[in-house]
Amino acid sequence: MSTVTEAQGDAARPEVAPPGPWSFPVPARHTLSNGIELLAYDIPGQYVVSVRTVLPLPLSAEPRHIEGVATAMARLLDEGTAEHSPEEFAELLERKGIALGASVNEAGLGVDLDVPKRHLPEALGLLRLALAEPVFPQAEVERIRRTRLAEIEQERALAPQRAAREFVATFYDADDRASRPSAGTAETVGALTRQDVVAFHARHVGPQGMTVVVAGDLSGLDVVDDFEQTLGSWEATRQTTPGAAAVRSPDAARIVLVDRPGSVQSELFVGCAGPDRRAEGGWAPYPVLGFVIGGSPNARVDAVLREEKGYTYGIRSVFRPRSSGGLFLTSGSVRANSTVESVGLLLDILDGVREGLTDDEVRAGVDFVSKTAPGRFATADAVADEAATLALEGLTTEFTTSNLERIRALTADDLVTAYRRWVQGEWTVVVVGDASAHAEGIRSLGRGEVAVVPN
Amino acid sequence: MPLDYPIHQRTLANGLRVVVSPDPSVPTVTVNLWVNVGSRHETPGRTGFAHLFEHLMFQGSRNIASGEHFTRLMAEGGRLNATTWFDRTNYFETVPKGAYELALWMEADRHGHLLDAVTQENLDNQRDVVKEEKRQRYDNVPYGKALIEVYAAVFPPEHPYHHPTIGSMEDLDAASLEDVHAFFRRYYGPNNTVLTLVGDLTAEEGFAAAERYFGHLPATAETPRDTLPQLAPLTAPVTVDRPGAVPNDRVHIAFRLPVDNTDEFFASALAIDALGGLSTSRLVQRLVRREQVANAVQAHAMGFVDGVSLGFFVLDVADGQDPATLEAAVVEELERFAVEGPTAVEMESALAQSERSWLSALAGHEERADLISQHVLLHDDEQFVNTFLDRIGQVTPDQVREAAAAWLRPESRAVVRHLVAAEEDAA
Repeated sequence: MSTVTEAQGDAARPEVAPPGPWSFPVPARHTLSNGIELLAYDIPGQYVVSVRTVLPLPLSAEPRHIEGVATAMARLLDEGTAEHSPEEFAELLERKGIALGASVNEAGLGVDLDVPKRHLPEALGLLRLALAEPVFPQAEVERIRRTRLAEIEQERALAPQRAAREFVATFYDADDRASRPSAGTAETVGALTRQDVVAFHARHVGPQGMTVVVAGDLSGLDVVDDFEQTLGSWEATRQTTPGAAAVRSPDAARIVLVDRPGSVQSELFVGCAGPDRRAEGGWAPYPVLGFVIGGSPNARVDAVLREEKGYTYGIRSVFRPRSSGGLFLTSGSVRANSTVESVGLLLDILDGVREGLTDDEVRAGVDFVSKTAPGRFATADAVADEAATLALEGLTTEFTTSNLERIRALTADDLVTAYRRWVQGEWTVVVVGDASAHAEGIRSLGRGEVAVVPN
Repeated sequence: MPLDYPIHQRTLANGLRVVVSPDPSVPTVTVNLWVNVGSRHETPGRTGFAHLFEHLMFQGSRNIASGEHFTRLMAEGGRLNATTWFDRTNYFETVPKGAYELALWMEADRHGHLLDAVTQENLDNQRDVVKEEKRQRYDNVPYGKALIEVYAAVFPPEHPYHHPTIGSMEDLDAASLEDVHAFFRRYYGPNNTVLTLVGDLTAEEGFAAAERYFGHLPATAETPRDTLPQLAPLTAPVTVDRPGAVPNDRVHIAFRLPVDNTDEFFASALAIDALGGLSTSRLVQRLVRREQVANAVQAHAMGFVDGVSLGFFVLDVADGQDPATLEAAVVEELERFAVEGPTAVEMESALAQSERSWLSALAGHEERADLISQHVLLHDDEQFVNTFLDRIGQVTPDQVREAAAAWLRPESRAVVRHLVAAEEDAA
């Protein structure tokens, strides 16, 4: 309870001065001689330079029987090149303080590099070797395969990952690539050979369509020349066809209980279809909705499940865009003996947003998302990540700036209209917990058909 | 390259140490407070209390309603939180420049006048929230308790680091409103706190604001006890086996280390990097790449102040391999390293990766402020962010070898093994 009286000596509550205008940094653009688009963000004082290469490459390009080949290929890029053994290559990276990582998601391949500024030229030379001349030694392929098989078991043992896997399997059509793990299943990874990896790289990895982002303190560097001498000299052709939007399963709206006997918490994972960044009506409302519904301890969900009931440490909501279409997801864990009540409360809260939002909620959400932007994009890696994510969707960071402008103008009506466009009470619900304790209770909620599957 | 982040320090009359590090590159200000209380100060029967207390700091104070700290500052474009660790509790927010005085006013209200607003209802609610945090992070996760078991195996009973910051369910249940009052009076006060401001403000603006909002608070905290003397390494190996429902065997091999912010600690940390912390480290090369008996090897050094630090290796055992074989290989590599010391390439690599991770840590205002607060509160060294790389750069290969020979001896290891249990034994 607030009071207006002040103790002796306490200063008066200060007024807040509104922030000035802000826009996302503007990159210098250059097309390398082999067609790679270079975006250079000069951010003085950022002494670690972040480089992000992105290449559109839908997971549907993977042959069905060896799904996971794209991830395996990415993980093997720095495990041996035409010039260097895996151990030599690792040593070249470590001696210059280079962090190099590669991964794939539904939209494409990303190779990330962070390096102290003075070692950037050498780092780019190594990046070129990793992309252009990986040799995929048999022993390393075996090792990466075995590591992935162990990782699948780790993911099965972790409730949030297990829930996410069951969610996509339930939500997406069984024939769609999106219904299966990005990095492959035990069966498909087990079937993978070195030749598959070599062939996948040869077919799909090349400069055509690639964007490379560099962000950091670029003063005194000749960035265009550094990139031209390295990535710009890479010649390869690729034959990749664009992917299609993932297809929702006709019976996605149901409840799946993944049975984990004795679990002291239940993991909840609830979702429905959501927009991508080009959606009709614009993307602006969705980050705000995510915050208002499940972005803080006092957002709609945690105001009840955490602060009123004490059932959870925290549940988060997010609209997650994909290259085409997206998801609206809410997830977190609750105390085991509150599982049934929590599922009911959570679905009621999510449905209730269709009825409207208060002006205070809208103001708080709009201000949080828009006014945090300067701080969220203050470092080289954050700038590079944003630019790379957008590049993979064919957008530039002008989108970030214009989207923030649109966010500032949002009204309660805009948000509710946007929410209703996607949320119609058709929930896919996954609960990872003790089926013997909760299955009957969840059925009795009457929120949909309940299936129990083993962990 | 010597770093030159501007650092200005002043101590207010009530003992509050204030550091301002101007950086106008972003129109925000980071407010970061470190209070010299952590789980190392907890008493038997009250483990987990410092962390539970930290949660109550968000449930209102004299002029601030329950939950308002989050809602108000987030609505101004603030990103904020707090954490509790062995050695300290920190509270922090990054806000647009125009809101930093509000943030300071709100911090002063709870750091000065929390007890006006603490209620049994809030205590009970946050106790439940913390129990769910414990279940989520430790109890319902494979290997979730591994580090808790490491602390208990490495540090003697009654030592401040023997029990984890999250505490036990029984002790959380036992916490009372009286405990909250006593804890606040004993540990919270400007004379036991450091305030760091990083961002778009001048040193004079920062000091004036600190005085305006905190200057009147009385120096109420009790004088901290002295830190404990250095613990010697374990004299005989300890092994703790935990069979359970885990996907593969995982082995933690842990050691006592010298206290933080000493050349010996830095040398130990570089030894640990060379042995297990790099993709080219000896254990990764041997166990992951060549013999392929481990899926992964990691290594960490955690610096503490109360008479000891912690170093450990984590081995993810490959399917079908015997964890004892891996442990024997680690022993062999430790023995060899204690004789040979690091190679020139290992030194170069460990220093290069330390440089990148240090520069990355300092790249954002939040972590820069946090590192400044840490080293002012615990080491009285406001320039640490600027001097750390030079200090580790001066560590010699011989010092690294000596540190390994003294602190990473095989007989001084504590081993915690999470082993795949047969179905009928699984918990």
